Amino acid sequence: MQETHKVYRQKLEELNNLQDACSSSIRKQKRKLKDLKYSLQRCKYTSSPEECDLIQQINIQIKERQNVFFDMEAYLPKRNGLYLNLVLGNVNVTLLSNQAKFAYKDEYEKFKLYLTIILLLGAVACRFILHYRVTDEVFNFLLVWYYCTLTIRESILISNGSRIKGWWVSHHYVSTFLSGVMLTWPDGLMYQMFRNQFLAFSIFQSCVQFLQYYYQSGCLYRLRALGKRNHLDLTVEGFQSWMWRGLTFLLPFLFFGHFWQLYNAITLFGLSRHKECKEWQVFVLALTFLLLFLGNFLTTLKVVHTKLQKNKDEMKKL
Amino acid sequence: QETHKLYKQKLEELTKLQDGISSSIARQKKQLKELSLAFKNCKSTTTAEQEESIREIEGLIKERQSVFFEMEAYLPKKNGLYLSLVLGNVNVTLLSKQAKFAYKDEYEKFKLYLTIILLIISSSCRFLFNSRVTDAVFNFLLVWYYCTLTIRESILITNGSRIKGWWVFHHYVSTFLSGVMLTWPDGLMYQKFRNQFLSFSMYQSFVQFLQYYYQSGCLYRLRTLGERHNMDLTVEGFQSWMWRGLTFLLPFLFFGQFLQLYNAITLFQLARHPQCKEWQVLMCGLPFFVLFVGNFFTTLRVVHQKFQCQNREAKAK
Repeated sequence: MQETHKVYRQKLEELNNLQDACSSSIRKQKRKLKDLKYSLQRCKYTSSPEECDLIQQINIQIKERQNVFFDMEAYLPKRNGLYLNLVLGNVNVTLLSNQAKFAYKDEYEKFKLYLTIILLLGAVACRFILHYRVTDEVFNFLLVWYYCTLTIRESILISNGSRIKGWWVSHHYVSTFLSGVMLTWPDGLMYQMFRNQFLAFSIFQSCVQFLQYYYQSGCLYRLRALGKRNHLDLTVEGFQSWMWRGLTFLLPFLFFGHFWQLYNAITLFGLSRHKECKEWQVFVLALTFLLLFLGNFLTTLKVVHTKLQKNKDEMKKL
Repeated sequence: QETHKLYKQKLEELTKLQDGISSSIARQKKQLKELSLAFKNCKSTTTAEQEESIREIEGLIKERQSVFFEMEAYLPKKNGLYLSLVLGNVNVTLLSKQAKFAYKDEYEKFKLYLTIILLIISSSCRFLFNSRVTDAVFNFLLVWYYCTLTIRESILITNGSRIKGWWVFHHYVSTFLSGVMLTWPDGLMYQKFRNQFLSFSMYQSFVQFLQYYYQSGCLYRLRTLGERHNMDLTVEGFQSWMWRGLTFLLPFLFFGQFLQLYNAITLFQLARHPQCKEWQVLMCGLPFFVLFVGNFFTTLRVVHQKFQCQNREAKAK
């Protein structure tokens, strides 16, 4: 067996060399493509219509090549982004086979589902059974940990080729900040006035997230089997373009949740103007809830708008 | 693109080899375990010669196990519970000696830089800013620092570092302590303890900085002499190899540990104050006490072992 191990170590070295070779050649080609694009753009102003067509064709080919590189890079070890570097260091988190990537994505979605159920139970217990600041703290710590872990796992997924849109990642950072500030809010008159509303909101949000993940997984599975979506598309907390096929019933729930966030923000703004309010947390939380509302609402609205435009275009054609 | 195809082929071959080796190692380990168990059962009914051969075989088994340990450091391994919870099933085994060493180096730099940052922030909280908000920021940084340390140390352990149990556990306790400090509302009790805690944090960051700085140098020297394993780390305690040049750190460490005991006693007294109604006081007192007991006894054991060693050497002469 030790000979097998020696052979293994040899192959490992060969693989490392190949990885380095592939990475450097991809980098060189990417740079050449960038230069090419730049010079083509400069030529655009001084070219005839036929040349313009040619340039457009070349641009399309460049885009295809870039996609090919993106896919290839998903299998090569990559340097971690800033966040992952801070938390994990320079350990390589690229999963090197399609199976492994898919298994990781699957596990991420299961993790979200289970934690959402646990958070739902925790919020219900805090709202109706236990009325202590201590249990609220435990719930808040769990929220902070949940969102932090989500941000770590999503960074790993993005390193591995998942295309997650900007807002859905930043909104986890904002939620972490929100839960952290809730954590430091001392018990008092203001806190007691907001607590029940916050816990009820958490219960609703956990319910909606659970519905989302549960139905989204099924929908994604169906669409992947039909070959219409990329393997690494994820369940998210918002509404995305592919969800029109069967998940439209979720939209009213989502919008209701967004407006509840707005209501939280307004309540907190009102509380911060109360004469007995001396905690800074109230105002900061109000701003954060407002930010979440704006981000979620506008992103979802954009998806609806895109769909309505598409419907109009199709109607015009018919 | 042909290079890429070749690369993907080799990748598949490698993955198959990895699985093959992992399963054969697992099988052999099981066989060795059964063998050890069988020997233990036999021990009671054996003659003197048989005992000697059994001991020889057990020696061989131990050697084989350490060979396996080294081999496994290059094979992908399943993550422990903590890493699985936080990262999922992404493989964190670094597959070359260089990469492992670079990772360890980076971990030590991380500790050093963060310790300096914590020192600066705790001194500004103690002397410049006097608001609960900046204290909360400091506490969040502490919680994040200790959490990140636990994650990185789990990765190092998966990669073959031998970190002793208490030093890992004590990071979890510190995370808990900082978390509880975070939730402590501003009030009479908090203000009474705050300055003591910040001064203690300043002292602790300072001592940790000294430790990491001198330990790295010492470890580097010992590694070039070939006397320590490549994956040994700088830690917050005193370990056996530190007698060669770092003995000056011992009084600082003991003083820090007694400061922890003093913190615990202060908190226990505050908990009995008539105006104390916060649960955090007792829940901070207990972790400080646990930290003191763990740190003190672990360090004491190293000192004790050294004296025993010296006694034996004196007797041998």
